Amino acid sequence: MTHYFAGLDIGSTMTKVVIISDKLEASLIGPTGPEHRKLANKVMEEALDLAGLRFIDLTYIVATGYGRINVPFADRQITEITCHARGIHSLLPTVKTIVDIGGQDSKGIKIKDGKVTNFVMNDKCAAGTGRFLEVIADSLGVPLERLGELSLTARKAAEISSTCTVFAEHEVNNQLANGESVANLIAGIHQSVATRVYSLVRKLKIEPDVAITGGGAKNIGLVKALETRFGYPVLVPPEPLITGALGAALIGKEVYEKYTTEGQTPIRCGRGLEEATFFS
Amino acid sequence: MEPQTNGLATAEKYYNQYGSRAKDLKESGKKVIGYLSALGPVEILTAAGVIPLRLKGNVSEAITKGDAYMETVVCPFVRNVFDAAVKGRYDFLDGMVLPHQCDSIDRTNDVWSDVLKLPYWHFLNVPHVTDDPSIEFMKEILRVFIGTLEKFTGTTITDEAIAQAVKAHNENRRLMRELYALRTANPPLISGTEMMKVLVAAMSLPVQESSALIESVTKEVKERPSSKDMRKRIMIIGDQIDDVAVIEAIEGAGAWLVMDDLSIGSKMYWQDVDATQDPVQGIAERYLRKLKIPTTYVADGNNYEENLEARFGHMKKYIDEFKVDGVILFIYKYCDPYGFEVPAVKSFIESTGASVLYLEDEYSTSALPRAKTRIEAFLEMIA
Repeated sequence: MTHYFAGLDIGSTMTKVVIISDKLEASLIGPTGPEHRKLANKVMEEALDLAGLRFIDLTYIVATGYGRINVPFADRQITEITCHARGIHSLLPTVKTIVDIGGQDSKGIKIKDGKVTNFVMNDKCAAGTGRFLEVIADSLGVPLERLGELSLTARKAAEISSTCTVFAEHEVNNQLANGESVANLIAGIHQSVATRVYSLVRKLKIEPDVAITGGGAKNIGLVKALETRFGYPVLVPPEPLITGALGAALIGKEVYEKYTTEGQTPIRCGRGLEEATFFS
Repeated sequence: MEPQTNGLATAEKYYNQYGSRAKDLKESGKKVIGYLSALGPVEILTAAGVIPLRLKGNVSEAITKGDAYMETVVCPFVRNVFDAAVKGRYDFLDGMVLPHQCDSIDRTNDVWSDVLKLPYWHFLNVPHVTDDPSIEFMKEILRVFIGTLEKFTGTTITDEAIAQAVKAHNENRRLMRELYALRTANPPLISGTEMMKVLVAAMSLPVQESSALIESVTKEVKERPSSKDMRKRIMIIGDQIDDVAVIEAIEGAGAWLVMDDLSIGSKMYWQDVDATQDPVQGIAERYLRKLKIPTTYVADGNNYEENLEARFGHMKKYIDEFKVDGVILFIYKYCDPYGFEVPAVKSFIESTGASVLYLEDEYSTSALPRAKTRIEAFLEMIA
């Protein structure tokens, strides 16, 4: 009998589900909203449909991310720090430093032999996070997904000195008024985010290989700006959004295997595919 | 004084109704003087016959009135306590003593004094270096302080009374260390959350009552059935953490808080006052040289390493003695003195092999969910 394991990563902006057996069975990415977080069960159902599985086929479920406590049917909650490390280690075993740029936070994680040895998270504001890019994209009237390619057409990155989201938006608007090109401004914004993230992660001793994960990794302009900061190329996994969910599923599998080798059954939470009720 | 048969319940009561005992004593005719920080010379207040009450804020309460007088650049702890005072929480006090610990206290002293208008007010000008002239200066300012208290209470504070108070407070410290020792067991006989309530209750009581409470807690936790719940052992370092919220975040994530280097915890209780010919000499030495706080600049080693050892060496001993697996450095935002020391403390502790989690946070539960993720990730890391 094949055992299936699910990992759910409920981030501040996106919800990610990964189902694995000995291989990847399905992965799904959808937006997190106040309703979506409440409806983690719906996202799970969709992922199960994709994999052609039923809920009872799942042997163990691990939830991670900002909304991990809002998954009533998860057997275990693990922080996204540990899950990202596990996920990246399985995909890119040479990586020693992970830079995760998420919707509302960014973090640096050091790993050795797949285990977290140190980590750091931004603790002030939206500076250096996906939210910063969202706000600027919005004010420039450019879709978020197009920021990366547009920035590559820049002649010269504009100088953006504010790290505060609100002030930087103001600065961008002023420079637009002064005739600066949108592409140059976007390139400048990427440099600003890269600088902010770099100064955060530098508190850990950055060692190559470096992997970039999270929504920020999908922005080629930001990745290039980070490479310039680090001084060497970085690795980006094929789907940088799902490494946390993948790590969660892998940890679930390890927990199950550890128990079975000891002749025990892991304790399940015993809840069905239901929605969190404490919101109502 | 009520008989104490159940120390933990009594501690819980005084923790929940902070200052209620001092308020009762005030109603029965005693004078109560509030003080800020570990630098408050409680021996002298006790010798003066007044009840010392360590001031605290409320992490669950938003600052709503204090901001009219203090900008957000001031330490969040100081602003929160001040806000509580402006809202009338400390109206029953006869006065306050604010020792010169940091700029946030020193530069707001006149605001406190002017806004609160309590009958007695004193700013204790504690020096920040530990050389011999500073000890002389410290003795002088303690004598000035004694003089103001004599004037306020209308009674003479004799050296004999000070010596007696020193004895009583040393005994109080000894009893607290005895209780701390029960945390070296694995698992500890008293949880960090329970301990926080005891520490907070203890700093709100007259010294004899505080000692009786500690004794009663020690007896109770020794006698109750021991737990088999083995967890990772954490030490917390910081200034005035005086609420269980942070401790519950740590223990709720599956660890035990077994030791602290907090200004209401071990910093208060580890160092006795020596009984000296002039009792004020011993007090000056204890608060200036023995008390380890980041505002006191210690540089009597021959090199940087020796200075670090003099400032943080005790933390190494705690890690060893209390079998600490991980250390949480919990620093309030805008706290310059602690902030300056972060890189040095961090690397000093890491050199012992213990992992360090550095959290910079508010004196408020509002930002605690973010801290919780870091605490959980830290525990997963050292698991």
